[in-house]
Amino acid sequence: MEYYINNLLFTYFPHIAMAVFWFGLITRLVKTNKTIQAQSTQFFSDRKIRLGSNLFHVGMIMVFLGHFTGLFTPESLYHIVISTETKRIIAITLGSIFGTMTFVGMIILITRRIKDDRIRVNSGFQDYFDYFLLFLLLAEVGLGLASVSTTATASVEHYASLGVWAQKVITFQPDAGVVIAGHNLIYKLHIGVGLFIFIIFPYTKLMHMLTIPIGYFFRSGYQLVRKGLQWK
Amino acid sequence: MQIRAQIGMVLNLDKCIGCHTCSVTCKNVWTSRKGMEYAWFNNVETKPGRGYPDDWENQGRWHGGWELKKNELRPKLGNKKGVVKNIFANPYMPRLDDYYEPFTFNYSILHKNSMFKTPPSAKPYSMITGKPMEKIEYGPNWEDNLGGSYEKRSSEQNFKEVQKEIYGEFENSFMMYLPRLCEHCINPSCVAACPSGAIYKREEDGIVLIDQDRCRGWRQCVSACPYKKIYFNWKTRKSEKCTLCYPKIEAGEPTLCSESCVGRIRYIGAMLYDAEKVKEAASKEDEQDLYQAHLDVFLDPNNPEVIKEARKQGIPDNFLEAAKASPVYKMAMEWKVAFPLHPEYRTLPMVWYVPTLSPIQSAADSGKIGHNGILPDVDSLRIPNKYMANMFTAGNEEPVKQALKKMLAMRAFMRTKTVEQEANEEILKGLDLTAEQVEEMYRYMAIADYKDRFVIPTSHKEYAEDVFGDKAACGFSDYNGCGTGKFKNLFGGF
Repeated sequence: MEYYINNLLFTYFPHIAMAVFWFGLITRLVKTNKTIQAQSTQFFSDRKIRLGSNLFHVGMIMVFLGHFTGLFTPESLYHIVISTETKRIIAITLGSIFGTMTFVGMIILITRRIKDDRIRVNSGFQDYFDYFLLFLLLAEVGLGLASVSTTATASVEHYASLGVWAQKVITFQPDAGVVIAGHNLIYKLHIGVGLFIFIIFPYTKLMHMLTIPIGYFFRSGYQLVRKGLQWK
Repeated sequence: MQIRAQIGMVLNLDKCIGCHTCSVTCKNVWTSRKGMEYAWFNNVETKPGRGYPDDWENQGRWHGGWELKKNELRPKLGNKKGVVKNIFANPYMPRLDDYYEPFTFNYSILHKNSMFKTPPSAKPYSMITGKPMEKIEYGPNWEDNLGGSYEKRSSEQNFKEVQKEIYGEFENSFMMYLPRLCEHCINPSCVAACPSGAIYKREEDGIVLIDQDRCRGWRQCVSACPYKKIYFNWKTRKSEKCTLCYPKIEAGEPTLCSESCVGRIRYIGAMLYDAEKVKEAASKEDEQDLYQAHLDVFLDPNNPEVIKEARKQGIPDNFLEAAKASPVYKMAMEWKVAFPLHPEYRTLPMVWYVPTLSPIQSAADSGKIGHNGILPDVDSLRIPNKYMANMFTAGNEEPVKQALKKMLAMRAFMRTKTVEQEANEEILKGLDLTAEQVEEMYRYMAIADYKDRFVIPTSHKEYAEDVFGDKAACGFSDYNGCGTGKFKNLFGGF
């Protein structure tokens, strides 16, 4: 039974989560593209937002990049440059720094959101959902930070197997879940909440990260003149 | 030569009575919605004053407009990297409190309660939080007719090199009205700073618009516009701005603010300009050269070569005809009585202003009469020339003085013509004006007939977007559907 549940959660559930994620992402991009935007409340009060928002966003971007490269680089590839031991040290250091940045930033932003009359009073259903999302993210970052000590004290193989699990998942191997079956509950919670965030991702304001203005850098010059018929 | 047509506006401040009719008509049509209560696409300020939003002319604070960095023109907000760096939290963005907290009064209490312990009064309530407000701190017209203290009002930006202490004394105090709207600049810095590419300048008439479907709410345009004429809608969390009432302009009708102006101070007309000269004109090193450089960008609509080239480049004939009869061209180029607002922002604005004359009584009382015995000296006008020059020509007094002299001469000339039955052409000496021009000036500026004030070419079918798909759709919405329901559809996200 335990094997069955472990397999369900860490072999099959990731695929279900990703299927929902991609389905939602594509339908949202095609059907309601114009609702994807930054939902800034800076206009109401910008006290604390410069610190909070910058800490949170910069931290989050770095944490995301760290997870992506850390989990999906195969051992054979990174061993050319560094050993697993060194990789773990880098992961723990950078993870703690940027994780803490994100966490502190979130605390600042959440307290600001709750304390500010203008923002609180104008909260609709969407904003309550935002609170849910914020606390979910907070829990996820908190779990990530809490797992640092386990990562640091457990064996190197234990740490390396996290990457192996991720790579097995994306290459559709049926024994993915077995790899982390014996891992600490804190990792499992971190993965579970993370996958849940992927599921709701397309239906939340997290979508605004897909509108990062990369095109701005490729726009020729600063001018923008349009003819009526050119843009549809 | 790349010829483009541009709709421009001139406001004759000499006739503005500060009645706010323009602001109110605009407000009723365009910004009477939730999220935009605080926004006035058109507002009228009393100068000297810090204005709306507070201290908007202080570009050291808001970083609007353009700057020359190593002889390269770039937004004052920074280069592209600098702009994108600020999207998480824009450090130069005005907050709601810099505009004002919109309010209403609980009038209903006056109807409901039959007995009051105190004299009946209606309290202000915030339209943002719905809670009673202790005090109204600021408003779109806070300094109306010299409201507030002189110390506060005179902390604005146009007193550069003016001995402002003198004008704080009651005998020397002065004021003027300044109606403001989006300038629909030839070199708009909001367009340059928009990371999403949502703001654009229409090719056919130069109107600057924000595509609401492409706006992602990064808020850079709010700071980048030096006139602070882009407003952040806190409900939709996207930016909005004056549209120059483009549906009316396309139909050949004037904007709401112009149509409703009781003083008939507003003029709308077409201009032709050379788009290839724009960058060079905006990059003049000396700020005082920018006014002349702006004039040099315009093309003479009566020049047969310009007409030929414009036709070749596909500018419709009715635009060319309108450009010939353009009141904006006459006032800005022919008579040189209209000036751009703050050319030093390097945006080449297209809403121009005729500086205002002011009383000379105190000077006349002290026995000072003008140089030729007929015209009063412009230096003895109550409003210091330097003050207006700081507003319209980056501090260069000469063009402003010349315009004021022409306006005084026009009055004197027409007085001799109608009262003494014989026009005295002596008056026009040294003013670069002919008698015919003065009479035309009089027709446009004093009589200001509707058909002279508004010469607007109708838009062409080939410019029009195909809006068939939008037929019977809801108009200005926040994508919540046409109703007020809070719940979006599943694909719209929560």
